[in-house]
Amino acid sequence: MKKTSMILLAGGQGTRMKQDIPKQFLLLYGRPIIVHVLEKIEHIPEIEEVVISCPEQYIERTLELIEVYGLKKNILCIAGGETRQESTFKALEHVRNESVIIHEAARPFVTVSDFMNIMKDSEENITYALDIPFTVLKGEGYIIENLKRSELINVQLPQKFNVSELKSAHNWAVANNKNSFTEDASLLFEHSGASIKIMKGNDYNLKITTPFDFKIAPTIYQEYFIGE
Amino acid sequence: MKTCIISGASKGIGRAIAIELSKSERSIEKFILISRSITELEKTKGFMDTSSLVELYSIDFANIEETQEQLASLFKDNDADILINCAGYVEPRSILETTIENWETTFKVNVSSMFLITKEAVKTMKSSGGKIINISSTAGMSARPGWSAYAASKAAVINFSETLSEELKEYGIKVYCVSPGRCATDLRKKLAPNEDPSTIMQPEDIAGVVRSLIPASGDFLDGQNIVVRQQVKSY
Repeated sequence: MKKTSMILLAGGQGTRMKQDIPKQFLLLYGRPIIVHVLEKIEHIPEIEEVVISCPEQYIERTLELIEVYGLKKNILCIAGGETRQESTFKALEHVRNESVIIHEAARPFVTVSDFMNIMKDSEENITYALDIPFTVLKGEGYIIENLKRSELINVQLPQKFNVSELKSAHNWAVANNKNSFTEDASLLFEHSGASIKIMKGNDYNLKITTPFDFKIAPTIYQEYFIGE
Repeated sequence: MKTCIISGASKGIGRAIAIELSKSERSIEKFILISRSITELEKTKGFMDTSSLVELYSIDFANIEETQEQLASLFKDNDADILINCAGYVEPRSILETTIENWETTFKVNVSSMFLITKEAVKTMKSSGGKIINISSTAGMSARPGWSAYAASKAAVINFSETLSEELKEYGIKVYCVSPGRCATDLRKKLAPNEDPSTIMQPEDIAGVVRSLIPASGDFLDGQNIVVRQQVKSY
């Protein structure tokens, strides 16, 4: 299997969680959320390096956790950007392999298999996604268009990309002042129409964003990870 | 090669566990015994199966700084597969007679040292799993007038064990608490000096219960506070 790099986006500031500390440091069943992710990566030797992008003031705390939890992976922690897009752009500069997995620290329920399945796949660009189980319409104040939910996907991380292609897309976005992409599959596709495979994600691979997510997270953990 | 670390192995329940496991648990190839007294640990070693590889460490758990240094040295060269925390201290006094020194020593030996050694052991167990067995007491579960420091420390051990059992599940680390009732040890003599030790449980009885937790069949008791009491028949 091809060696790969990983970018772990840990840009949380705690705003939407209404907490003083960023969500990646909140304890889920006794361990910080980011540690749940890093400990899974620890079991995947094919991931050669991890670039963690986080707010500058939390670099020290992140490094401390890496030390305390005895993580041996080659991990670089850098200051992220003003936006998620900029954080990925900055992290890409440190990536040394031709393939990169992008994941978020706020998705602790990712499994080793989730990473392995996209790494094993021969396609270079892959995103996980879920079906849309509800009706979606386009509108701003008033409905302006019906959308076919069967043609839509709910993008889920992790994703895998060819590094050169993704770097080109980011450089294009910077040059053209396109800075509102919230994830990288849409950015890459917008830039080049690149072929991006969709793989079916998991319902439980929740992104912890709101206090409600954090409330239900222990139940997901107990159900899917420790089998209770 | 499985390594089993036993604290408080110089006498009583800790010694009985070391002897029992060396004779009956073939999966353990190395024992690391800890206590203040090397002389007493040597005696324990003398009772153990001679084929066991045994290392002895003298650590005074009442001295936290020294304990941290000694544990760092111990775990530099050793991984733990099984950790049995058995070290115990008691100095029964009423609340008005209990000094802060007495209270702190009780908690250092019974709780803080357990925390320190467990933390080091977990670092080595988290990649491949393991078993942690903490010896508490029924004194940690109900009121014991005159034993407040000891009883409170043993209550801490019970909750520490139950919490760790949940927290460490994903690592495959099983955590148990064994809470014996009246058992014929030196510690018990301090608590009940007039009791005839032949009428109560023996350390070997507790060792038998601990032994039953080591094989895979013991996995099902993960997270339990296992109360061990002698059945008393009265006619």
